[in-house]
Amino acid sequence: MSKGEIIAGFLAPHPPHLVFGENPEQNEPKSKGGWEPLRWAYERARANIDEMKPDVLLVHSPHWITQQGHHFLGVEHLSGKSVDPIFPNIFRYSFELEVDVELAEACCGEAADLGLTSKMMRNPNFRVDYGTITTLHMIRPQWDIPVVGISANNSPYYLTTEEGLEEMDTLGKATRKAIEATGRRAVLLASNTLCHYHFSEEPIPPEDMSQEHPETFDGYLWDMRMIELLRKGEIAEVFRLLPQFIEEAFAEVKSGAFTWMFSAMDYPELPGELHGYGTVIGTGNAVMEWNLIKAGLARAA
Amino acid sequence: MAIVSAFLIPGSPLPYVQRDNPPWAAMADAMDKAGVALAASKPDTIAIYSTQWLAVLDQLWQVRPNPTGLHVDENWHEYGDLPFDMRTDTALTEAAIAMTDGYGIRSKGVDYDQFPVDTGTIVASNFLDPDNKLQTLVTANNLYHDWDITVNLGRVVREAAEKLERRVAIVGVGGLSGSFFRHVIDIADDHIASDGEDEWNRRMLGLLEAGDMEAINGACPEYAQQAKVEMGFKHFAFILGGIGGTFASATVHHYGPLYGAGGAVVEFGL
Repeated sequence: MSKGEIIAGFLAPHPPHLVFGENPEQNEPKSKGGWEPLRWAYERARANIDEMKPDVLLVHSPHWITQQGHHFLGVEHLSGKSVDPIFPNIFRYSFELEVDVELAEACCGEAADLGLTSKMMRNPNFRVDYGTITTLHMIRPQWDIPVVGISANNSPYYLTTEEGLEEMDTLGKATRKAIEATGRRAVLLASNTLCHYHFSEEPIPPEDMSQEHPETFDGYLWDMRMIELLRKGEIAEVFRLLPQFIEEAFAEVKSGAFTWMFSAMDYPELPGELHGYGTVIGTGNAVMEWNLIKAGLARAA
Repeated sequence: MAIVSAFLIPGSPLPYVQRDNPPWAAMADAMDKAGVALAASKPDTIAIYSTQWLAVLDQLWQVRPNPTGLHVDENWHEYGDLPFDMRTDTALTEAAIAMTDGYGIRSKGVDYDQFPVDTGTIVASNFLDPDNKLQTLVTANNLYHDWDITVNLGRVVREAAEKLERRVAIVGVGGLSGSFFRHVIDIADDHIASDGEDEWNRRMLGLLEAGDMEAINGACPEYAQQAKVEMGFKHFAFILGGIGGTFASATVHHYGPLYGAGGAVVEFGL
């Protein structure tokens, strides 16, 4: 078995509105569209995933919140209907997915070896959270690549932001070791929105784009500042600013996926490819890619 | 009398799914006692406010006539499933929704198959009404609603109950102190994680037992902060609104640990 490697990382936010706007057959509610720039951004990301031919997609979702440790989906086949508790009117999605349990177990074991509390989720009746489902649908609607689902331990909220993100950094290192040990060619998905200030009332209809805009100008400016740094590959500066960004823009990256992903990739000072940016009920969302194959840091299939 | 009983109970699934563990068995037994007391008050409907049903945009209310299904807790999945089968008092809920406008609260009913009913609501329903004899009114914890708005939610339920001449049991579902063990523990040795928070819990429970409203109202903000009480103790605010802001005394059926956090089963004397 050859040594596994991470071939790409994506910032892949999970507003269910994007699925609603696309109208896939799995989602009950239907729309007249909406949020096209973000959905087109995901189309470009999908094309690149197609080209990379990964063995597995790993997703870290802020909507699977755990208190006792970092959890990993550990059931080979999971299915059900995911209804968004916040937006049940737009997201009622029938899902079916295959889990790479061997890799999940390896991640769980490596995390424990590095001192984190970690746990496998073995309950076959478990309902996968809508953040995981939305990100996976938007990046790979065919659902034909096995996945590893990782919970968001609430340490950045329970402890200080810095302490919590330190755990996510360790989780990223554990993830990398597990990928290398299992020989997988893996794509990482950080399911995070940037600025998370949002409207307090939902537009009617939800897909009325004449009402969509950033909730706050300051939040928008923060998003642009961070995206510009990411596009230039100034990753160290991004992480220096991250706690301030989280504090001032109420950024969802606090939940850890972004740090987990970059830690797993060893924080490459590599320009990210911005596939697109847009707001969803006022929150800032960017679809971005760090392609380690194109950068010469990973092998092509 | 529209409000016939009121209870504060924890929303943790641990006493329900693992009641053979001694520290949690006592909590489960207390929940059973609360269920007996609730039944004795002969309510038509249990009104549940659970800290674990999180809302963001509007105040959400369950209006599906028969929410049913199997829930797995996102953190405690290894201990098994939480089946639920509830009958919503849709008339009372719709009346409450209509009344929230008067308090400046924007409300919305949810009526969806497979809507994720939260762990706390299921634990409350299954412990307090094990034979599914009663109807339920279930409303969410909007993260942006403060203490006063939450008091008003309880008030709305009381006013709707009065209007429809319903006998209602008010139930606030949530924990006490919020520090918990982040690592795996021997569950047989579960205990309150923080001595300081333990003291605060006991102090607050003492005030509740005495029914000293002035002291309770004065202590709640500091208690919520010092003991890191789950969701700022808003589940108690809902109860206060529901019972008209006062009670004569309270019975603490049990106080104990839930993986380090504090929980208590409290019955209010109306």
